[in-house]
Amino acid sequence: MQTIRIVFHIAILFLFYYTGVWIQEAFQLMIPGSIIGMLLLLGCFSLNIVKPAWLEQGTSLLLSHMPLLFLPVTAGIIAHTSLFAGEGLWLVVIAYISTLLVLVTSGWTVQLLLKRGTRDE
Amino acid sequence: MNEWLPALAALAGTVAVYQGTRWFYRRFPYPMTLPIVTGTITIVLFLLAMDISYSTYMSGGQWIEKLLGPAVVALALPLYKQRQTVKKYAFVLTAGVTAGAVAGVLSGYVPARWLGLDDELIATVLPKSVTTPVAMDIAQTTGGIPAVAAVFVMVAGIGGVVSASYVFALTGISQSLAKGIAFGAASHAIGTAKALENSELEGTAGSVAMTLSALFLSFITPLLTAIFFS
Repeated sequence: MQTIRIVFHIAILFLFYYTGVWIQEAFQLMIPGSIIGMLLLLGCFSLNIVKPAWLEQGTSLLLSHMPLLFLPVTAGIIAHTSLFAGEGLWLVVIAYISTLLVLVTSGWTVQLLLKRGTRDE
Repeated sequence: MNEWLPALAALAGTVAVYQGTRWFYRRFPYPMTLPIVTGTITIVLFLLAMDISYSTYMSGGQWIEKLLGPAVVALALPLYKQRQTVKKYAFVLTAGVTAGAVAGVLSGYVPARWLGLDDELIATVLPKSVTTPVAMDIAQTTGGIPAVAAVFVMVAGIGGVVSASYVFALTGISQSLAKGIAFGAASHAIGTAKALENSELEGTAGSVAMTLSALFLSFITPLLTAIFFS
């Protein structure tokens, strides 16, 4: 019974995913179909069309084992190993420094707004 | 019959590697021992050692990969459950995530262009701040290489988590909300896990910021690359 329920939950997620992909292709959007599907599901939750309980278990199963789902894709790095001998190495440095900048920019923005908020009160 | 065998072996092997690396991570929980890091290395080394081509492996691996789309859709549920937090901090969340996303894309793009790297590589590095499946999808739509994009996602996740405490101390970022949002915006799920270790508010802020950042970047990255690459 539990297995059937999980399969059903994942089937609902697939439905939203493929609807998202279909919308992306039909309207030639640049946003990934998966994200469109996620927004559709969020909309259905808010409008009470879909209840969270209808896909709770399938959802938490997928989310808690997310790393398993992208292992096959990340193993695809095997075809691009030469990249990291040359230019790719620069990109690793850029990605790292850029990450530190995101940490600081986000953190400062939030902290600045919070401070201003308390002063106004 | 003979075509099914390698596919089944790849499928079972991937699950086994995942289980093994998860066990290893529980015993030695460091950012570098995350299943996605050790699991990828194990599979790549195995394929190289056994002289198995990636396409042979993917005859089975593709069945696991197919679940990635629904998994991204599934992110709607935690976000919906945290709608009270989203409402309460709507303004700071949006501002913090937007500022971080813009900073991330620009500080990825400008030096890469300056070094004269090609569009494919730049499109690959730009979505590094968001959770892996979304980053791979963004890379796909903008002409990048999804598998390589995942490597930069790991750099952002692990690099951010390892350096954050120094960065926060150096820049005077001390409030839980600010740290949580910064973690989610810069280092996605890996950062959120770290934020959750510090406090509940920090963890919740991180998880919401991570999803909002994924949403926001899937809108602006294709837009910006269309402008940058024209």
